[in-house]
Amino acid sequence: MLPDFALLFIVLAPGLAALIAGLFQKYVTDTGAMVITTGTVGLAGILSIIQLFMFAFGGGVVEAVHTAAPAAGDHGAAVVAPVQHIITLLTWMDVGQFQADWAIRVDAMSIVMMAVITGVSGLVHLYSWGYMSEDPHRARFFAYLSLFTFMMLMLVTADNFIQLFFGWEGVGLASYLLIGFWYTKAAPNSAAIKAFVTNRVGDFGLALGIMGVFVVFGSVEFEPVLSAIRENATVTPLALADAAPIRELIVPFLGYNVPALELIGVLLFIGAMGKSAQFFLHVWLPDAMEGPTPVSALIHAATMVTAGVYLVCLVSPIYEYAPFAAGMVTLIGAVTALYAATVGMAQNDIKRVIAYSTCSQLGYMFFAAGIGAYQAAMFHLFTHAFFKALLFLGAGSVIHGMHHEQDMRRMGGVAKFMPLTYAAMMIGTIAIIGLGIPHTSFGFAGFFSKDAIIETTFAAGSNGVSFGTLAFIFGIVAALLTSFYSWRLIYMTFHGPREDSIPPETPEVDSHADEHLSVDDHGHHHDHHEDPHESPLVMLIPLGLLSLGAIFAGFVFYDSFVGHHQAEFWAGALYNAADNTVLADKYNVPEWVFWAPLFVTVTGFLIATFTYFFNRGFGAKIAASGGPLHNLFANKWYFDEIYNATFVKGTSWLGGFFWKTGDKRIIDGFGPDGVTSLVRWSSRRLSAMHTGYLYHYAFVIILAALVFGAVIFWRVGGAG
Amino acid sequence: MGNFPILTAVTFLPLAGALLIMLVQSATGSNGQDEETRGRQSLMAGLIFSAATFLASLVMLVSFEVDAPGYQLVEEVSWFAGIQYKLGIDGMSLLLILLTTLLTPISLVASYGTVKQRLTEYTIAFLVLETFMIGVFCAMDLVLFYVFFEAGLIPMFIIIGVWGGAERIYASFKFFLYTLLGSLFMLAAIVFMYMQAGTSDITVLETYAFAPEVQTWLWLAFFASFAVKLPMFPVHTWLPDAHVQAPTAGSVILAGVLLKMGGYGFLRFSLPMFPDASQFFQPMMFALSVIAIVYASLVAFRQTDMKKLIAYSSVAHMGFVTLGIFSFTEVGVQGAIFQMISHGLISGALFLIVGMVYDRVHTREIAAYGGLVNKMPIYAAIFMLFTMANVGLPGTSGFVGEILTMTGAFQASTWAAAGAALGVIFSAVYMLTLYRRTVFGPVTNPALENITDVGKKDLITITPLIIGTILLGITPNLVFDITRESSLRALQMITGG
Repeated sequence: MLPDFALLFIVLAPGLAALIAGLFQKYVTDTGAMVITTGTVGLAGILSIIQLFMFAFGGGVVEAVHTAAPAAGDHGAAVVAPVQHIITLLTWMDVGQFQADWAIRVDAMSIVMMAVITGVSGLVHLYSWGYMSEDPHRARFFAYLSLFTFMMLMLVTADNFIQLFFGWEGVGLASYLLIGFWYTKAAPNSAAIKAFVTNRVGDFGLALGIMGVFVVFGSVEFEPVLSAIRENATVTPLALADAAPIRELIVPFLGYNVPALELIGVLLFIGAMGKSAQFFLHVWLPDAMEGPTPVSALIHAATMVTAGVYLVCLVSPIYEYAPFAAGMVTLIGAVTALYAATVGMAQNDIKRVIAYSTCSQLGYMFFAAGIGAYQAAMFHLFTHAFFKALLFLGAGSVIHGMHHEQDMRRMGGVAKFMPLTYAAMMIGTIAIIGLGIPHTSFGFAGFFSKDAIIETTFAAGSNGVSFGTLAFIFGIVAALLTSFYSWRLIYMTFHGPREDSIPPETPEVDSHADEHLSVDDHGHHHDHHEDPHESPLVMLIPLGLLSLGAIFAGFVFYDSFVGHHQAEFWAGALYNAADNTVLADKYNVPEWVFWAPLFVTVTGFLIATFTYFFNRGFGAKIAASGGPLHNLFANKWYFDEIYNATFVKGTSWLGGFFWKTGDKRIIDGFGPDGVTSLVRWSSRRLSAMHTGYLYHYAFVIILAALVFGAVIFWRVGGAG
Repeated sequence: MGNFPILTAVTFLPLAGALLIMLVQSATGSNGQDEETRGRQSLMAGLIFSAATFLASLVMLVSFEVDAPGYQLVEEVSWFAGIQYKLGIDGMSLLLILLTTLLTPISLVASYGTVKQRLTEYTIAFLVLETFMIGVFCAMDLVLFYVFFEAGLIPMFIIIGVWGGAERIYASFKFFLYTLLGSLFMLAAIVFMYMQAGTSDITVLETYAFAPEVQTWLWLAFFASFAVKLPMFPVHTWLPDAHVQAPTAGSVILAGVLLKMGGYGFLRFSLPMFPDASQFFQPMMFALSVIAIVYASLVAFRQTDMKKLIAYSSVAHMGFVTLGIFSFTEVGVQGAIFQMISHGLISGALFLIVGMVYDRVHTREIAAYGGLVNKMPIYAAIFMLFTMANVGLPGTSGFVGEILTMTGAFQASTWAAAGAALGVIFSAVYMLTLYRRTVFGPVTNPALENITDVGKKDLITITPLIIGTILLGITPNLVFDITRESSLRALQMITGG
């Protein structure tokens, strides 16, 4: 691990840079803000990546094993206190047993996340120099990017649930600000609110989960909570239930008696579903594409949306002893993987295709975590960060080169204008479809991580883990679709003739396509007949570096993350129960399981090649035919429509009902206004009385008070 | 400090200022100066007195011993018939007094240049109000408390009724009558308690054991008053009207301080003096709190008037206070006190923020705004900060109060916690929608074309609230350390008594 001052720098410096760039932009100028933020995050990125390599291949591992050994105790390998280093900065809340510090916790999990976050963020900062070069609000943009980076780092280095929640909502804020970055336009504003509110629905679960943790364990700090579960310690809940061994503890919740760990597991996962855009709570992610593309790469692909996966893995001891909650994670993950892939096939906006792809890949991570292969989930999170950021930045490069065109139907033939971007997108595509030869080391990053998931999931299914087999089947089918939509994207965008003459078809597509059009005048002419141009070097360098990651990250880190050295690498940060052997069993699955991903990947490639390369227009014909399946996919299974008709309209109606009927008609009507008119009515009858509100009211009030007082005295007197 | 009566000094310094202004202004008459100039002089004098009061309250803060149990800085003089003039503070009252002495000068600064009619009387009303508010929080005698509590109604009634908007008469009467109706029940209860216990000393009454069935009635009588003040569903409808009609400074004090008297009352009287009844009514209080949170949030979403929206938001946020108090847990009660302080800062700031654009455009209609960020970037940033604070973003004080009160409630009723957490979702809906409609988007209303960004006066008023909101969000222990003793004491009386 790095020395403390370096760790402090990595986590806190981006926050400081954000403050300077945001608050003092008048003094530091746009360029100053860009230099400060990019320099800080870039340096943090270099340090974090060095730390990751040190930890995986250098002294870090040895140190880890030595420290872990005494803690192993009598229970064998199953109970290992994680190797971690905590720097406490400041007490945050100290209320009875509710103790939360501002802290920086460094263990294998946070080391991996720090490298991903600062690495990708540094590159995205650099890339934005080119992509945002014509935007008038660059200082604000870079301040938000660095703010996001800081919040994400606070999330992954928290040593308690409350700081995690701080980072969790903080990244939500940064995401909200960046999605709505072009604030004068309607679509980004709606998308930003939708993202924040949908995440809040998830946070409803997360917050209740954290409260549950506190009430059950009497602590909101990770280590006391997780070690109690690892050791099946007897815990005494603050309320609700009597002391019991934690794995057997039953607590009442909303009238039901449920196992405490199941309850907490499900509630925390609801939070994860929101942040990681899982089925039911996924609706915000595609809309989030209204934000500038570097934001999509950093926040809505590589880092923030993986926070849910990180959370589930972080509290792996909970899910190890909460089979129902874990089954829910698996099921939702598997459904999302398949669902998002089906929708991804029918989208025409290049960013939305990649957004659904992200959604789908997150589903893979979740079902891997659900069946107990946390290591594989984290591995896929790690490799996915590289190739998904690469795909987004590549798409951004195309959009930039095409003068803010995002509709793939109006692209085509871009390869010859943007050869380097094309190469990067090819690398990203090969990585995401997971091309590689089983039993060898030949393969791109996605091959190693996705196949690890497929194999462990099959093993889990064979071991009888709930939904294991279903997840395996969904995973295989989704892999086929992934290959199809990824190649479809490549063919529609880069191959064939230029199709810039097709007018926009639907207003919806158009509203995304003219992303900066109206106010952020940026010198680009919106002449679609102008030829695309290759992007500048500051945008190509990040593409190059991410390409290296997309090619090699899987091969280099396989052994550490999921291979033979995984136990030393994770050093107790991830936990598998004694009976959870999926990671070892993945070597013993039938031979066809190893080859199945390759088979479906090639099949998807062939179908895409047939329909979009050799028979260009075939896909458009299917779309035009308007078959029910196509319509279902193209309309995202009508989730937005259903949610609008129920939740959005319902909430609004209820608000109006409570206001107009509840407050005005009933409360005021029978209350003050009713009394007024009653008094007025009776005073007209007894016309001798004065008019004017005060006297009437006072009369009624004094009368009531007298009656009340009399009643009290009578009662009390009677009681003696 | 020796025997210097610091509490009396803090309490009556504003009143002394008010009297002085009144004397000087009537003595000098209208010799030569127009009313406006004289009004400005009064306002400046009022500002000096309220600032001095704030400094005096800081002396109080320094003299306060955090770890000492019970009431401190107690002053006691016999008044009449066993009723005493007795003042004293614990951690909770200390912080509420600080909140009062902070918000009063801020309100007066905010009035500078915006209130033009009868500025002298306006200033006097605020100073008198400040004395009564401070008195409420440090009175150690039930009768003295009642005097302050009721007297405070009058200046606020006048502030709304004289300097308010078009519907101010309706609003001020509604405000006055709701609160008066509530407190008459309380008066009856106080008289009864005095007769039965033979004293109105709060410290004695805290330990006096009223019979359970008597407690029920007394609890209800106090409840009638505090529920209106807080306000709780279904007696909350006076608040939106009062806020909409009140001048900006009136809204700041109303939301920032007056509502807190309800929460303060529950903690100071209901819990310690009627522990059995408090336990008995816990389910009702939970139900009303959760209804307030969810109901008011939903209603807030549909408002077309900025001030009304924030008023309903206040109802929702005060729901967390009662939720925390009636959880009878340390986390909940500490959270509730914190929520009162935090809401004082945040709602005060939000009303100032509305006032800033109202002063410039003279409408509170949300639809009249839009695109402010293009003309007022600093304003937009400040508004964003308090929007986030109001939705309870961690790192702001808004989060701490919400999470702690809900955690406390979770221990007593998972239903209550889940219901309150639902309200947290809706708060994001109405606040972000408000922000979007007023600040984001293009400028469409021509009246906004030449609008200017926040000025020096605006920054002076809002900066202390920005600092407070963030500071307490990051180190809330500043509050918890001070309020720990009072929270534990209230809890001990309810669980151990």
